[in-house]
Amino acid sequence: MSLLDEIEAQIPALRRHARALTRDASRADDLVQDCLERAVAARDRFRGPEAGGGSLRGWLFRILTNLHRDALRRDSLRSHLVVAGDLPEPARPGGQEAHLALREVEAALTRLPEDQRRALLLVAVEGLSLAEAAQALDIAEGTLVSRLGRARASLRAMTGREPRRERKAER
Amino acid sequence: MSGRDTGTSVGDHALMALHHGRLPPAERAELEARIARDPAAAAMLADWQAQDRALQALCDPVAAEPVPGRLTAVIAQARRAEGRIEGLDRRRNRPATRAGTAGRLARAAGLVAAGVVLGLALGGWGLRQGWLPGLPAGAPALLAAAGPAPAAAAAHRTFAVEVAHPVEVTAEEDRHLTGWLSKRLGHPIVPPDVSALGFRLMGGRILPAEGGTAALLMYEDGTGRRISLYAAPQAGGQTAFRFVEMQGLNGFWWVDGSVGYALMGDVPRDLLRDLATAVYEQLG
Repeated sequence: MSLLDEIEAQIPALRRHARALTRDASRADDLVQDCLERAVAARDRFRGPEAGGGSLRGWLFRILTNLHRDALRRDSLRSHLVVAGDLPEPARPGGQEAHLALREVEAALTRLPEDQRRALLLVAVEGLSLAEAAQALDIAEGTLVSRLGRARASLRAMTGREPRRERKAER
Repeated sequence: MSGRDTGTSVGDHALMALHHGRLPPAERAELEARIARDPAAAAMLADWQAQDRALQALCDPVAAEPVPGRLTAVIAQARRAEGRIEGLDRRRNRPATRAGTAGRLARAAGLVAAGVVLGLALGGWGLRQGWLPGLPAGAPALLAAAGPAPAAAAAHRTFAVEVAHPVEVTAEEDRHLTGWLSKRLGHPIVPPDVSALGFRLMGGRILPAEGGTAALLMYEDGTGRRISLYAAPQAGGQTAFRFVEMQGLNGFWWVDGSVGYALMGDVPRDLLRDLATAVYEQLG
């Protein structure tokens, strides 16, 4: 499988992540298109894990993350604009065992700070390892872990799943 | 700060490392044993799993949608460009020779700016040693791998330097040009418009090609650089974009159906690739 094939295979995941971040189908695909163009143009410079360059997924998500950050900076109004109810319809009404109402989770997700939302989506939805997600976000793994901890605690609090021994959320 | 954020005996980092799964088996087993003795940690882990399932249920449908064509096109275009042939012509066009030839031709034509030719060949073409002076013996094998590029380069070299008559039918005779080319080639051809990239169509001409007729369309930018698009019938079905350097020119060529195309010019490769991409899309 060539590098181009491998990049192409990641398009659905990149679209999913971009949609979850932007909650807007066409803006999401604009981001993914920019991401693909950059990745394709820079693919000669991608050094695989063997060369200490991290994973392809980590690299692609990093490009996407940077583009999204740039877009938010350019359009700072939108970075504060939280639109709930714009995520795609769930495929199924959450499993019984989940006990989490998807609408609640969706609303909670939109209320998370951008950094926490990115981190949580990368590991929980995209299945990136901690190392890959840290690579994508360009932060240390320890920073990522505390960010994820805050994201999960907030999500828990907002969805009424306060665990017994939870301290008051730090913020 | 991460050590005991969750209030469990295990700690966030370890719990997350376990949950997000990249632990050596021994470490994993040891952690799982500790979690088994720590109900708070076990509950935390169950919570995280529930969160993950909910988030996945929310987001996953997007990944199941068909991928829009504009996204796959980015990859497809890169694949076409990837088939470039580097160095094909370097052996016989060393820089000194190239510069000398180009310089003589340019001076002879009174051109100060480098000529740029976009060669599009429509019509049959064969290997024409005669078009390629100085070709070493054994070159046909190389040429066969260069599609219409050698003929396109020769045609560009011949006509791009022409001041008075670079084309037979000018772009001003637009409808006439399109009809004339189509008639002579035996199939419809509409000259691509690359004005967005700074190149204006000057016109076109018909050339003999082995087994058919070739078309040459010439374009010029504001600084007098010329590129030519050459098109000639060619067996071979479908190829990727291929890059060549020959006779001091950069070129991209490809075969689409029964027609081989080559875009030639003394312009930077990146610009030429953009031009070739625009041409390809309009011809498609």
